[in-house]
Amino acid sequence: MTNTLKISKNTRETWAYGFFGILVFLFMWQLACLYTNFGKIFPTPVYSLRAFLEAFIKPIGKYTLLGHIAISLKRVLIGYALSSVSGILIGLAMGHSKMIHAIIYPIFSIIRPIPGIAWIPLAILWIGIGEPTIYFIIFMGGFSQMVMNTMDGAQHVSKELIGVAKVLGARENQIFRKIVLPYCVPYIFTGLQTSLSTSWMAVLAAEMITAREGAGWLILAGMQTGRIENNVIGMISIGGVGLILASLLRDSERRLCRWSVRSR
Amino acid sequence: MVSTKPVTTDKTIIKLENLSKSFQVDQGEALILDDINLAIEENEFLVLFGAGQCGKTTLLKMLAGLESITDGQIVIEDKPLVGMDPRVGMVYQTTALFPWLTVMGNVEFGPKARGVSKKERREKAQYYIDLVGLNSFEKHFPVMLSGGMQQRVGIARAYCNDPEIILMDEPFGHLDAQTRYMMEEEVEKIWEKEKRTVIFVTNNIEEALYLADRIVILTECPAKIKKEYKIDLPRPRNLVSPDFLELREEISALVELREGAE
Amino acid sequence: MKEKTKYIFISIASLLTFILIWQLVSTTGIISARKLPDPVKLFETFLYKLTNKNPDGNVLGVHIWMSLKEALIGFFFGIVIGVPLGISMAWFDKFDKFFRPLFDLIKPIPPVGWVPIMITFFGIGIMSKVSVIFIAAFIPAVINSYSGIKQTKDVHKWVARTFGASNGQVLFTVAIPSAAPMIFTGARVALNGSWVSLVAAELIASTKGLGYMIQTARLVGRIDVVFVGVLVIGLFGAAMMEGLSFLERKFVKGGRRK
Ligand SMILES: Nc1ncnc2c1ncn2[C@@H]1O[C@H](COP(=O)(O)OP(=O)(O)O)[C@@H](O)[C@H]1O
Ligand SMILES: [Mg+2]
Repeated sequence: MTNTLKISKNTRETWAYGFFGILVFLFMWQLACLYTNFGKIFPTPVYSLRAFLEAFIKPIGKYTLLGHIAISLKRVLIGYALSSVSGILIGLAMGHSKMIHAIIYPIFSIIRPIPGIAWIPLAILWIGIGEPTIYFIIFMGGFSQMVMNTMDGAQHVSKELIGVAKVLGARENQIFRKIVLPYCVPYIFTGLQTSLSTSWMAVLAAEMITAREGAGWLILAGMQTGRIENNVIGMISIGGVGLILASLLRDSERRLCRWSVRSR
Repeated sequence: MVSTKPVTTDKTIIKLENLSKSFQVDQGEALILDDINLAIEENEFLVLFGAGQCGKTTLLKMLAGLESITDGQIVIEDKPLVGMDPRVGMVYQTTALFPWLTVMGNVEFGPKARGVSKKERREKAQYYIDLVGLNSFEKHFPVMLSGGMQQRVGIARAYCNDPEIILMDEPFGHLDAQTRYMMEEEVEKIWEKEKRTVIFVTNNIEEALYLADRIVILTECPAKIKKEYKIDLPRPRNLVSPDFLELREEISALVELREGAE
Repeated sequence: MKEKTKYIFISIASLLTFILIWQLVSTTGIISARKLPDPVKLFETFLYKLTNKNPDGNVLGVHIWMSLKEALIGFFFGIVIGVPLGISMAWFDKFDKFFRPLFDLIKPIPPVGWVPIMITFFGIGIMSKVSVIFIAAFIPAVINSYSGIKQTKDVHKWVARTFGASNGQVLFTVAIPSAAPMIFTGARVALNGSWVSLVAAELIASTKGLGYMIQTARLVGRIDVVFVGVLVIGLFGAAMMEGLSFLERKFVKGGRRK
């Protein structure tokens, strides 16, 4: 009883401090806009909030805010799904078989350190401006991370557990399915997490450079047309959606990896 | 070198004949097991007693088919052992449970891998889970269990695969003394109920005396058989009976003598 | 040992085969050289770019120097400000409660998203790029030093306390050293993020640097220069990560946490 009381007091304090912190920040932003040169280029928080709410009904460019977000979301999910599936498969193959590792890894290490975003000019020259280019860039952003994390898992599968399974009568293909694969799941989730945030970054950059719609375009167009509030709106929504996706992913990890100490 | 053939009887199930093991190391070869000869009877509870790093785990791994044999052979029921053998099961030093499987998943792993039908293997796994006293923990994951409970799962898992010979490698080495006593009683009870040949490794004299039909004492690395004791004390054993204490003294003296000689 | 040599051999063979096939595919015209310049041609372009200012106004060395300078300045400030902030947030409860929500608010915004705002503030130039990179490095620096300190084992703190260490001493002699591996992980993420954001910032708006070079080369259709730029970006990214790993091995004793 006293314990719950203490906790609720603690949470109340956390909320109070946090609220206070954000309030101070907004207040300083407002003051800076009203009394310094900052206000000449930057909208006040009140104005930004109004613009944000308006953006839900009034289109900016071709779509309303929700429309732009939906487009970015679709692009990210397609590119991300492609990079995750192929990254996991190649990572498993390279981690499980030394032969495949020896063949692919040297070529892969040339591509690995190249940021997904750096592929933008090449992708435009290869595929032209359009959706496939954007998918490609997002793909390149997440792919190496997926491969590296999955491979890491598959290479470090506990030799002891493999021995245990063998003594219990498991055959080669059973060992892959029942030991190697489940062992890699937490590693795969680590890869999925990092690759998701890289994918978000990639879609923004790609849209800034090659698109006429989407959250990235919204942000850049805000700058080009001098409507900084669109810029702010774009950033807030990108951050919000990114946050939601990341916590969905964390949730599913927690559900799938109840056995792992790390996911608690 | 003159080697002593192991004394075999009708009931002999395992024979180790001139068994040796060396590992390839940077400086050449390291001899770990040196010409071990031993015959183990069916349903015998044999304890291997030896100092740390003397090669006990290595010997068990060879019996389980997880380590190759350098020299000599292991014969189980008149057939030389080659690689993995379904007649051998093992309980490990670290618990070595599959962390992503529940208690049930771990215990039924062996039968499942061999393609036993779901109904049959579930029934069997349930039987052994109940036997080790983990009833109602079937759906728990290993991380949620205490060390003693994890080791119970390990024991149930080994039994559930129906081996004739069960190897136990210092299974209680990481447990506190109190839990350890409980587990020793448990292992003895299970062994009385489900007769199997057990080869149990330990470096704890009391544990050895409490459980063993026979104690085989190994020398330090490279391990040879130093001495054997047949333990005829009635079960369950009383840890403070005069006979028990006397044997404990004798073995301690033998082990200390060896250590003193270093 | 013998097995290892075998695999190294296979790796070399595989790499050579890859380059050979690439060379053949583009010289025989199976894929047009305008889409995929061959390796020999790329090497020539690389040598050419070392001394020639076409098509983007500067030789390769200038672009590399510019990019490295911006990335490292932004990274440096991100670490120097982010790590102490993360440590303070983890150690002082009030600090944490005050800054946490604000930090949580900016944390999920990808650094590239800041590019237009920074350009609006500072114009196109080094300042806007450095500030984007600063953000890219700052966020992981805070997150990792924060969780590094939070993961300090209680027993270690207790040991120090029972030896009579003050709060500050516990922080500096126990918490920070035990968080060091985690902080280095943060630095690695930060460096990677810095390099990625640098490329993005230079692609979007810039007048110098590797990102600018490949963007300009793209506009005039010089795919060979784009290729060289992309490979150089990868190469220097990898080299900086190696440098950081080297520092880590020198400074973090008692092994890296897995
Ligand atoms: N794969 C191996 N390669 C080289 N040496 C090994 C290997 N496995 C075990 N050893 C060595 O064999 C000796 C005996 O190990 P082990 O059987 O684990 O001892 P115990 O279980 O009695 O403590 C140790 O000195 C160990 O270092
Ligand atoms: Mg051992």
